[in-house]
Amino acid sequence: MAEVKKNEEPRIGVFVCHCGTNIAGSIDVKAVMEYARTLPNVIVADDYQYMCSTPGQNKIAEAIAEQKLTGVVVAACSPRLHEPTFRNATKAGGLNPFRFEMANIREQNSWVHMHQPEEATAKAKDAVRIAVAKASLLEDLVPKSVPVEKAAMVVGGGVGGMQAALDLANAGIKTYLVEKSPTIGGRMSQLDKTFPTLDCSQCILTPKMVDVYRNEGIELLTYTEVEAVEGYIGNFDVTLRKKARGVITPAEAEARGIVGGGCTGCGDCVDVCPVIKPNPFELGMAPRKAVYIYHPQVSPLIYTVDFDACVKCGLCVEACGEKKAIDLEMKDELMTVKVGTVVLATGYDIFPIEKKFEWGYKNYDNVITSLEFERLICASGPTGGHLIRPSDGATPKRVAFVLCAGSRDNTGVGKPYCSRFCCMYSLKHAHQIIEKIPGVVPYIFYMDIRSFGKMYEEFYYRIQDEGAKFIRGRVANILEDPVTKNLHVNAEDTLLGRPIDMEVDLVVLAAAIEPSAETEKTRRLFGVSCSQDGWLLEAHPKLNPCGTTTAGVYLAGVCQGPKDIPDTVAQAEGAASAASIPIHRGEVELEPYFAQCMEEKCAGCGLCVNQCPYGALALVEKDGRTVMQVTEAKCKGCGTCGGFCPGGAIWMQHFATPQIVAQIDAFLLGGEQ
Amino acid sequence: MSKNKHQYAFFLGCIAPNRYPGIEAAAIRTSKNVGIDLLPLKGASCCPAPGAFGSIDLNVWYAMAARNVVLAEQMGMDIALVCNGCYKSIWEVNHKLKHNDELRDGVNEVLKEIDMEFKGSVDVWHLAELYYDPEIVGVKKIADSIKRPLTGARIAVHYGCHLMKPGKERHFGDTENPMWIEELVAALGAEPVQYRNKMQCCGAGGGVRGYDLAHALDITNEKMINMRDVGVDAVTEVCPFCQLQFDRGQIEIKEKFGAEYGIPVLHYNELLGLAQGMSPDELALDLHAIDVEPFLKKIL
Amino acid sequence: MADENWKPKIIAIICNWCSYAGADLAGGARIQYPPDIRAIRVMCTGRIDPLFILKAFQDGADGVLVSGCHFGDCHYLEGNFKAAKRMFLLKSVLKNIGLDDKRLRMTFVSASEGAKWGSVMTDVIKTINELGPSPLKEFAR
Ligand SMILES: Cc1cc2nc3c(=O)[nH]c(=O)nc-3n(C[C@H](O)[C@H](O)[C@H](O)COP(=O)(O)OP(=O)(O)OC[C@H]3O[C@@H](n4cnc5c(N)ncnc54)[C@H](O)[C@@H]3O)c2cc1C
Ligand code: SF4
Ligand code: SF4
Ligand code: FES
Repeated sequence: MAEVKKNEEPRIGVFVCHCGTNIAGSIDVKAVMEYARTLPNVIVADDYQYMCSTPGQNKIAEAIAEQKLTGVVVAACSPRLHEPTFRNATKAGGLNPFRFEMANIREQNSWVHMHQPEEATAKAKDAVRIAVAKASLLEDLVPKSVPVEKAAMVVGGGVGGMQAALDLANAGIKTYLVEKSPTIGGRMSQLDKTFPTLDCSQCILTPKMVDVYRNEGIELLTYTEVEAVEGYIGNFDVTLRKKARGVITPAEAEARGIVGGGCTGCGDCVDVCPVIKPNPFELGMAPRKAVYIYHPQVSPLIYTVDFDACVKCGLCVEACGEKKAIDLEMKDELMTVKVGTVVLATGYDIFPIEKKFEWGYKNYDNVITSLEFERLICASGPTGGHLIRPSDGATPKRVAFVLCAGSRDNTGVGKPYCSRFCCMYSLKHAHQIIEKIPGVVPYIFYMDIRSFGKMYEEFYYRIQDEGAKFIRGRVANILEDPVTKNLHVNAEDTLLGRPIDMEVDLVVLAAAIEPSAETEKTRRLFGVSCSQDGWLLEAHPKLNPCGTTTAGVYLAGVCQGPKDIPDTVAQAEGAASAASIPIHRGEVELEPYFAQCMEEKCAGCGLCVNQCPYGALALVEKDGRTVMQVTEAKCKGCGTCGGFCPGGAIWMQHFATPQIVAQIDAFLLGGEQ
Repeated sequence: MSKNKHQYAFFLGCIAPNRYPGIEAAAIRTSKNVGIDLLPLKGASCCPAPGAFGSIDLNVWYAMAARNVVLAEQMGMDIALVCNGCYKSIWEVNHKLKHNDELRDGVNEVLKEIDMEFKGSVDVWHLAELYYDPEIVGVKKIADSIKRPLTGARIAVHYGCHLMKPGKERHFGDTENPMWIEELVAALGAEPVQYRNKMQCCGAGGGVRGYDLAHALDITNEKMINMRDVGVDAVTEVCPFCQLQFDRGQIEIKEKFGAEYGIPVLHYNELLGLAQGMSPDELALDLHAIDVEPFLKKIL
Repeated sequence: MADENWKPKIIAIICNWCSYAGADLAGGARIQYPPDIRAIRVMCTGRIDPLFILKAFQDGADGVLVSGCHFGDCHYLEGNFKAAKRMFLLKSVLKNIGLDDKRLRMTFVSASEGAKWGSVMTDVIKTINELGPSPLKEFAR
């Protein structure tokens, strides 16, 4: 059906933006505009201070109406920023919005050639010429509307994921909350108190966990991972792997016809299980059995069998008795759900700080991480809340806190970024030991104290007043006294300008954080980019911090970059709101960059069929010959088939071969040779 | 490319042959017992000492070290050596010239005057790392070569700065808490003992001993205190200059601070020689400033 | 024939999701690089027909840069693998017709690698400057 379409005689309008001095500072905008007037097909050219402003946009609409334009070119910032704006302006003037083409003379010109005005101006002229060439060949396109599945998915059940799921469900959207571990709660459930208010972490988190569990709009899928993702905004088909948990819920029991059965969380199985393993929730500082829960407040309160450790003795099955909750033959299950939008909230892990050899973590007994500290100071932790030295169980009297341990580290071993919450939680830790251990002195080795949040600076002063000692200096190394197991912290006190060697009983490393282990795999499944250090990449650092460049996928919490609980929750609410918009609208418009077969050119060779990663192409019989056919609903418009077809028989809408060749020719053959 | 992994040009250095000839004798004998041939690197000069030369004229340091490397290139063999200072000079200059074309061209300009050219065809090894490398010797083979285990000896290990640092360039992994020489010591049947601030400098290197003896001794004294505190029978190292500093240094410390430690100081090759059955005479242990006799009594 | 005033004409065809975004980021960060490259945006490097590149050389381009997402990061899963294969083949074609294959370069620059985009630009321009004008220049027009 599609053919190389002959446009009516092209009539192009060109609008060059000053962007204040952003563009005009290094590009001679008037000269570019004058030059545009000399180009073939250009009927009108104009310039304006801010093309994106209302008067700027009006200029476009007016020119279209007055000059009967067939195409519009704006030379300004990046199409990634303002293409939608100017498409709307084009539409307002009565022209199909896809008749618009943008020349990027800011991000890729004036800003990167700030000291070469002549060359920048020449480059801008070329860019306009290239854009006019394409605009002259653009055609009317109609975006495709697709219905949006009225369901959402949240991946990661930390405080961020929980908040997003609650908001979505409370907005009336069926929400799948997928968590890879046996319980929701994330890192926050490992914390004792939270700065700066010092409320108990579990006390404020547990009610939320219960809300999530009880919320009828949320389908809670713990011990579950994302296996595969297909589709696009509005219609994601997500395949999930429900890992074999070895224990069934009361609901599952009912489905199996076991009356009144299923796990009640009684824990009878634990008493009889003979296998002992370290509990990862307690960072290995406490034991658990092969059948276990992380801690008493888990949600859902369902036990899990660790099949890597289980010896299948069957004692637990016996102990469970009539409830028949334990199934040692259980296998992983795959399930597929359809959702319209997705929120990723996969959180973080602690950077393996033993890589910083100089601090001796894992070498010296009495060097611990802050997360271990949280467990040791927590009343429900392995020591019942008594902070002890691992080497001898004694109560430490001199405790050094090493901040920026592996953060803000440009040696190539640690992380270049600030982990953002370690300053604040170390202040909290100092407070906690002062409160609990009479006569203790916390020494805080810091580079800068970053207490940026609401009431944070006040908290900092409070801890100073409470008697914590602050030493500004990065710790060079830590040495263990082999006899006493005390530690010598060597640093330069940069305020006094002298080296110090301080003997302490315990060192707490405020270790850097990094994206959680499976973030990389998960982001690839959803086609989301990451920044250089692995944190998931937001669509725009300022204007779209919850979105991603993949339509329909949003970010919440630390997976996007280090942030504390208040910021995590705020972003989660933002992401939930963004994820609910397409669902509430009920349909989304897809950019109509589809492939089309030009049947008269198609030889029916079928070579393109394997090129398409989405299986959108197939050979069909038509009028007695074999031709290729595109299933538009599957085509995402990458153009891989179009770049391949040996006969040039695939027309890529908006990126058609004649359009691209016109751009190439315009640059190389047009202009002043 | 297939160089013989068991034959090396032996770069002697200055301090070993002049002050502790036992180290030289031990190196040749002990390495032979574990299957390594050390052949003399004829015509070699001073490495030259990294602190003394390097801090005055880097170009002289590069050129002289490069000349030593070229001698080995002419033999078609990698270099093995027994001194951290030599390692710093020869390993590092070899490494730098291999990775920096500009520097290499400059050095070759100088070497041209004596009809030599640095090609970058050999590597440089400390004998101790060859001993540790399981593909060349390995701890097991060392243990198997022992005739007279040093049972009961508590030994402190000093690594020395120039061997392991700068850690970014070197290839030893953990430079803050290494344990591989301890493994080599344990292979002799002795007990390696941890002490505070193990990685601290001996006090001598980097020209400190030459420039400011009092300061150097201050550092050495601190190390001796830390070793004494955990009770050791001897200290071992892999560097004759560190050895000199601990050994003669204890005499000088006694004169300066009045403190006496009496901890014998033995190069790892000397220890290995003893364990393999070499006699104290063959190892010229009587040339040590601190009497080795009490240590020998304990192990023989 | 060395023309004193010769300035290289280099065309870059880059994908919307990674390299184009990376180039925008370089702008936001005001990373400065030489101005001799003109970019054309496509949705994915998979769209790039090798004939586009031959056409560019025939038109007198001194160099062509193709830049997309890192492997595994392509917005459309595998367009960049397909593109890389094609560029690989094309390079051997270029060699066979007597054109230095360094005139065609494929790079992978992500949306967060603004600084890398700057150094790619600088480096490509340096390479083409060293190679001088394309011998195909006379065919242009
Ligand atoms: C020692 C320490 C003390 C702290 N103290 C405070 C404090 O006092 N106050 C404060 O505001 N902040 C504090 N924080 C920060 C706080 O922990 C974080 O802000 C918060 O946990 C972030 O929540 P999140 O949901 O983004 O990530 P997380 O809590 O990490 O949750 C992520 C969840 O996603 C799951 N997951 C990960 N990958 C996948 C996957 N691929 N599929 C399915 N599920 C997945 C994980 O299992 C986890 O449950 C502290 C941090 C540390 C290390
Ligand atoms: S929050 Fe504080 S301790 Fe943590 S990396 Fe940033 S500056 Fe360093
Ligand atoms: S453009 Fe072609 S290859 Fe790409 S998704 Fe559409 S049909 Fe498939
Ligand atoms: S989208 Fe960037 S290479 Fe495919």
